[in-house]
Amino acid sequence: MAIALEFEPMDSSLILQNLLSPPVLFFFLGVIAVLVGSDLEIPSPLPKLFSLYLLLAIGFKGGLELQHSGLGGQVLPTIGAAIAMSLVVPLYSFLVLKTRFDGFNAAAIAATYGSISAVTFITAESFLDTQNLPFDGFMVAALALMESPAIIVGLLLVTLAAPQKRPDAAGMRWGEVLREAFLNSSVFLLVGSLVIGLLVAAYSPGGITKMEPFSDKLFYGALSFFLLDMGIVAAQRIRDLRQAGAFLIAFSVLMPLFNAALGALIARGLGLGPGNALLFVVLCASASYIAVPAAMRMTVPEANPSLYISTALGVTFPFNIVVGIPLYMVLVNAVLPAAAQP
Amino acid sequence: MKRLDLILSERELEAVLKAVDAAGAPGYSVIKHVTGKGPHGRVSDAMDFSGLGANAHVIVFCEAAILPKLREAIQPLLDYYGGVAYVADAELL
Repeated sequence: MAIALEFEPMDSSLILQNLLSPPVLFFFLGVIAVLVGSDLEIPSPLPKLFSLYLLLAIGFKGGLELQHSGLGGQVLPTIGAAIAMSLVVPLYSFLVLKTRFDGFNAAAIAATYGSISAVTFITAESFLDTQNLPFDGFMVAALALMESPAIIVGLLLVTLAAPQKRPDAAGMRWGEVLREAFLNSSVFLLVGSLVIGLLVAAYSPGGITKMEPFSDKLFYGALSFFLLDMGIVAAQRIRDLRQAGAFLIAFSVLMPLFNAALGALIARGLGLGPGNALLFVVLCASASYIAVPAAMRMTVPEANPSLYISTALGVTFPFNIVVGIPLYMVLVNAVLPAAAQP
Repeated sequence: MKRLDLILSERELEAVLKAVDAAGAPGYSVIKHVTGKGPHGRVSDAMDFSGLGANAHVIVFCEAAILPKLREAIQPLLDYYGGVAYVADAELL
């Protein structure tokens, strides 16, 4: 089946609106702070607190909305497609990366790109809010379920393709691997908050308004504050990019673009509206710098963290939140049939 | 009495503490969020939000007789994940 793509002339105001949104501006402020040598520093427990807060809030809100939308219609196919993408992306990423890196590094980077970035997803939700485009709570379930499969695939790739003679069997204790993949703090909190949101919406709706000042009103400010720290951390990683080299830097921009194009076609096949389609594309195009690096550091210590953290955090994350999200919106508008447009 | 100082990534702290316990050490102290510079460059706590954390400093006071068991339990972990360990004499004040 041929798909006719009709790209509107690039809407520069879409990119400008995104660039001038408070979260992205605070991200730039963090980057500038490092580049000009400011002593701006966020004490280390705070970013952890804000990252946990964002996961809790997005999980809770997703649970509330999931209770209303139910599991019918597009929900299960979309979640299934999301899981499938997190299984498949590391496989073809690995084949590309294996041309330049050893099995350990190729598998760790591939797993990073198969998994997702919750903060990119949250930034995309904020972008959709500014565009008045609706999206559904079940996309949060897709977000939660895409974290773990990529970790498992990455570790399977290590066992299959990396040198067999590893110095210590401790590197591959599957019980620990599975615990890390499915019970790591971000997945656990996200899924837990989603379930709590579902239960509250179904049995204790009075709790929704009580939670609102915390889970809703503070959200945008907390995201902006967290992105200020992410700007600092991303800029500090820039010098590590020298180690990554041109091939990996190009990979960390081109692979998200390829994944986004594939995601947009799948979103069309699933019949998603533009809001959900953008979130699906962002999930496909983002790379993990929280759950996967932590899991890889523990289970594949042979891989160089500078490679998989610096590219995910120093290149792909800024690219996605600054240029990627509006670009993917243009892509979604071009790929989705006219009937799906608002 | 001996003093054992271990500097390792916080990610491997639990595994190392289990090994210290299993070797029969009477106890230990742990200082988390240890930053500095090692053979692979600077160690910061900037990635603490991701669960990667910084380094941890483990201090163990024990009898010299326990050291071989501690070495046997901890050395493979340090060899595999990275980290350093130093032993010094210690005496009670």
